[in-house]
Amino acid sequence: MTDKTISEKADYSPDLERKWIFFLFKGRPETISLILLVMICGAVAFINPSFFNMSSLVDIARASVVIGLFALGVFTVLAAGGIDISFPAIGALAMYGVSSFVINVFPGMPMILIILFSVLIGATLGAVNGVLVHGLRVPALIVTIGTQYLFRGILLVFIGTVWLMEMPSQMIDFGKFSLFEIEANSGVTVSLPVYFLVFPIAAITTWFVFNRTLMGRAIFAVGGNSNVAERLGYDLRKVRIFAFGYAGALAGLAGVIQASANRMANPFDFAGIEIGVIAAVVLGGARITGGTGTVFGTVLGVLLVTVVNNVLVLVGIPSTWQRVVVGAFILLAAAFFVLRDRKSAL
Amino acid sequence: MSKKPSSKAAFLSLSGIHKRFGGVHALRGVDLTIEQGKAYHLLGENGCGKSTVIKIMSGAHEPTEGIISLDGKHLNYLSPMAALEAGIETVYQDLSLLPNLTVAENVALGEQLVAGKGRLLYRLDHQKIKQTAIAALRKVGLEADQTLLGKTISDLPLAIRQRVAIARAIASDARLVIMDEPTTSLTRHEVEVLIEVVGRLLDNNVAVLFVTHKLEESYRIGGEAIVFRDGLCVAQGPIENYTRSQLAELMTGRSIEATRYRVGKPKNTTLLDIKDLSSGHAFRDISFNIRHGEIVGITGLSDSGRNELAMALAGHISIPHGVLTLEGEAIHITSPASAISYGIGYVPEDRLSEGLFIEKSIYENEVPLILNRILGKFGLLDDKKGRAAAGEISSGMKLNTKDLDLPVSALSGGNQQRVLIGRWLSINPRLLILHGPTVGVDVGSKETIFHAIQEMAERGISLIVVSDDLPELLQNCDRILVMSSGRIVENFNAEEVSDDHIYQSMITSPQETA
Repeated sequence: MTDKTISEKADYSPDLERKWIFFLFKGRPETISLILLVMICGAVAFINPSFFNMSSLVDIARASVVIGLFALGVFTVLAAGGIDISFPAIGALAMYGVSSFVINVFPGMPMILIILFSVLIGATLGAVNGVLVHGLRVPALIVTIGTQYLFRGILLVFIGTVWLMEMPSQMIDFGKFSLFEIEANSGVTVSLPVYFLVFPIAAITTWFVFNRTLMGRAIFAVGGNSNVAERLGYDLRKVRIFAFGYAGALAGLAGVIQASANRMANPFDFAGIEIGVIAAVVLGGARITGGTGTVFGTVLGVLLVTVVNNVLVLVGIPSTWQRVVVGAFILLAAAFFVLRDRKSAL
Repeated sequence: MSKKPSSKAAFLSLSGIHKRFGGVHALRGVDLTIEQGKAYHLLGENGCGKSTVIKIMSGAHEPTEGIISLDGKHLNYLSPMAALEAGIETVYQDLSLLPNLTVAENVALGEQLVAGKGRLLYRLDHQKIKQTAIAALRKVGLEADQTLLGKTISDLPLAIRQRVAIARAIASDARLVIMDEPTTSLTRHEVEVLIEVVGRLLDNNVAVLFVTHKLEESYRIGGEAIVFRDGLCVAQGPIENYTRSQLAELMTGRSIEATRYRVGKPKNTTLLDIKDLSSGHAFRDISFNIRHGEIVGITGLSDSGRNELAMALAGHISIPHGVLTLEGEAIHITSPASAISYGIGYVPEDRLSEGLFIEKSIYENEVPLILNRILGKFGLLDDKKGRAAAGEISSGMKLNTKDLDLPVSALSGGNQQRVLIGRWLSINPRLLILHGPTVGVDVGSKETIFHAIQEMAERGISLIVVSDDLPELLQNCDRILVMSSGRIVENFNAEEVSDDHIYQSMITSPQETA
């Protein structure tokens, strides 16, 4: 028999290349979110040109920070094959705990230390999640449902239940300090606060971890198939503690920003935010089953959800419809992802 | 790389190795020697200690007793790290690739992991990853262009994945690559490619140890046979010095005749007539008939359409065109349930994920098709009736246990297959389609499966056996149909055709014969 040489260009790419459109989406599932985002912005701008003025853009930017930080954390945990729904409780505990610490114990605490303290609390609580998920071998969903109640309970029982309205001046200053201010048409001054920068910085940091360090690949490895990853020498314990700890740290950061921006600390804050955040991450192309997704996609998902939450009012759609739109988008994106996977499986 | 005879000194040797797991004495004093640049074939029935011994070589198990010599140094055990440092790599049956990472990452991340010394916040060296991946992929004959390097593993066909797994094994300086049943799910053509890849490794002075059930391939590759039985190495020597039946005898401790199992003859009446069956690109213009009690083998490369044809007849995929006539009556198979209603059963190739409820008991696995027969009062299941029925199936299939509550995951591959066949026999099928009936089954169990197949034919059941294993088809079938590019290209009488002849027609496309 005349066997072809084994260096033949192996046929590892079936019909895929021909369908360029599916090929495009195959590599970059977040394209669907990008298209939805562009379509919405286009439609809204067409109906109500005031959308593209500075004040609504600044509103969106400001509103995206907290959900964005949470989403980057959720993305990290999802990529590692877990899920975290305790982050709102972590954010609230860090926010309220740090605020009351500064008010009652250390009023002169420098802002940078306040931020670091909050991040540290968040990272510690997140690491507790990681230790439990790894040690108990219990699904992350169950563990974080448990710790969510636990963290929120600790906050309410041991730290406080009343709203803190007299916030420390350094936090208020941080929340007000603006990157730039402009006079809007209506005569109102709009300013983009400096804390907005935290979101892009966190996104770039997360991107760096995922694409330039071994940890990023290890997170994907564990999320892809934890048994195989363990056999290949990846330390599952380290990876899980890192992923949950990192998500916790971002939640702590989100907490301190929320308190500074709103000039108050509400121990019941963030309750119910988790589904919206997970939705944003999934719209960004990460699979709920782990091992996939990109930071860029996550940012797109966050922007999409924020835009829907903020601009529908501009075109006269009542805010009660936001949920309908977000729900429809999630189903649309999910249907699209499934279709794409079936296409590539053929 | 030139072959240096001096480098062929013993690289790894085991002497007097014992391994006990609790009360089980898995290895009872094993001696064997591995030299670089040579091929080895670890042969033996399931449960003979083969996997225990490779786990000792790769550092996953610590021997209870005995000495491991590595480059002349005596050690009591090998840690996983020490095994890797010594260049001992294992390609497991599941390949252990990370499905969501790229080819380059799968091949070269291990090196980065070692370079990072466990610090996971270590900065990745993308240039090095690329270089290492390209070099290793070349050694397994894969053209490492940017497209391949960036492909995600889950997008690649199995045969390419396997080569990627081998590339990962040799990415760092491997001296021994252990391959656990590497050809189980490969087609003949892919096996040829693998054999060439192995040739390259041997030329590069790497030793290759196969754990395998496929003697055919071992003879083709050559090298040394290492035969295990009951936790002992009963023979080691050049494989060409042993005949097939000698090896089979060494493995089982009894002689197994490699003769034809088929003794009966089909009846002259036609059970199923298949005319002009077509289904998209999968298969075209398929026409043949099966007589009562006939055993028809179907083979071909994995893309020849044979798998799709088998699944279409069982109702797992739809048949857009063609006419099926069952005992003179036209039938339409639209789903597995409708196939079953016509008495057509299907035993899938991947019995673990498609056939068995693996964590459930033998009882629960044997009765699902006869639930209507074991109903008691109020239409509830009658446990007593069910157990009686399951017990009958177990004894009919000669299972090695009478315990109906044992999970099937605790059974050997051969016994699992018998549970599955027994389940189908419980509905007295007219046609049973067996897909790869002996994949992953040891020599001794193969024999009992073959006997079961022959008994079914004797009872008048017609069988279609879809398989890559040509000797198996030759030993069991009346006729062998060969498929290529979706068509039936040959219809051989199994008694008058040879292995080589069938293989030739498999790799010749219909266009060439036309």
